[in-house]
Amino acid sequence: MPVNRIIPSLLLRGGRLVKGTAYAGHRDAGAPASTARAHNAQGADELIVLDIDAAREGRGPDLDAFAAIGNEIQIPMTAGGAIASLESARAVMAAGADKICLTTTALDRPELITELAEHFGRQAVVLGIDVTGEGENARLHDHRNGGTARDGDWLAWMQEGVARGAGEIRLMAVDREGSRRGFDLELFAAARAAVNVPLILEGGAGGLDHLSEAMAAGADSLALGTMLVFSDNNIVKLKRVLAQAGNPMRP
Amino acid sequence: MQVTVIDYGAGNLRSVANALYLAGAEPEVAASPEALAGAERIVLPGVGAAGHAIARLRGSGMADALDEARARGTPILGICLGLQLMAQRLDEFGSHEGLGWIPGRVGPIEEAVTTPCRVPHTGWSAIAPTPRADGLIGKGPKDRTVYFCHSNCLTTDPDIVAATVDLGSPVTAAIRHENLFAVQFHPEKSQQAGARLLQAFLDWTP
Repeated sequence: MPVNRIIPSLLLRGGRLVKGTAYAGHRDAGAPASTARAHNAQGADELIVLDIDAAREGRGPDLDAFAAIGNEIQIPMTAGGAIASLESARAVMAAGADKICLTTTALDRPELITELAEHFGRQAVVLGIDVTGEGENARLHDHRNGGTARDGDWLAWMQEGVARGAGEIRLMAVDREGSRRGFDLELFAAARAAVNVPLILEGGAGGLDHLSEAMAAGADSLALGTMLVFSDNNIVKLKRVLAQAGNPMRP
Repeated sequence: MQVTVIDYGAGNLRSVANALYLAGAEPEVAASPEALAGAERIVLPGVGAAGHAIARLRGSGMADALDEARARGTPILGICLGLQLMAQRLDEFGSHEGLGWIPGRVGPIEEAVTTPCRVPHTGWSAIAPTPRADGLIGKGPKDRTVYFCHSNCLTTDPDIVAATVDLGSPVTAAIRHENLFAVQFHPEKSQQAGARLLQAFLDWTP
């Protein structure tokens, strides 16, 4: 069985990396290629790279940035950002991505999930689920307008996405992004009980304790943004401590 | 050493070429059958669904050129879908005839294991080499933990299996047969473990 994964989550804007809080207030977070090279060298298990302006600007994703990152790493890259067609997905894969992350484009046209799964295999299709609120108030979120999508029923949409061919889920607790107050483990448990595909949990990581708690709760794949960007945490140290605590990590 | 990477419109050629370059080879991408005539070593990569891949290989004449290279004894490394395409049959979104170089069938992971497991199998898993690996796969834990990303797997003659991965039951992770070496995982995405494996393939005399 796979070991646990630590996955830096990189957001692209105008050829630079940025990081914000709850999908707003983005600050500059460095150059994409050199950051990716550092994560690769420190033993990141995978990268998620999302072009966050592509959807709002009504364009395709930044292929040059994906290629620049892809050239620096020997770990897998999941890429996303307004990928709305098979042609666009093919260009992103050709630029060096291993998996495609669909979020808003799948909401607009759910058939896209199946089209990509039939072409690349479902293991290459990651469905992004953005959730705001917590517990009974958790709602599926559309970051383009800040509103609710599909009547808010994130669980039903996630299950539909898997049935349509998504082979992995990126589950994002939007309110926790950049908050450093820990992962939403209740959200994770609800998702884990509902689908059998791999789940990547994101949003709220602030320190080592949060990673340990999440792994103890069964969240084996954790995406980190702010925690890596605006602090002196390095992945070598994090993974070593997690391994010493008995978590299955990559040697 | 010159290595010919087969381009049939199925995924991560750039990553494979980069990794081969870092392993000390001179990768050359071939999209036409003619380009295979003088190939010293061949890499058949692949991410994608079986049906499209088989159709592309046959339609372009690449399948015939690969058959000839195999018959000449050219060392061939299959990666992920590249391993699966070597089988007799592939059952994924329909049933498809493979290149038929190795016995067996490719089908859903769920059907190959006796204990239910998470599918797709995505992430870094430790593989267990068999004596068949013959030095192509390292023995240390770092050399054996590699990146997988697949929903289907090969069920084949146990004698050609070079490594397995434990998904509740052992699943084929690598095969070696005549001049063929093929892996279900992605050496080009497996950092040091992958680089070591690619170097071993470059040095390999079948």
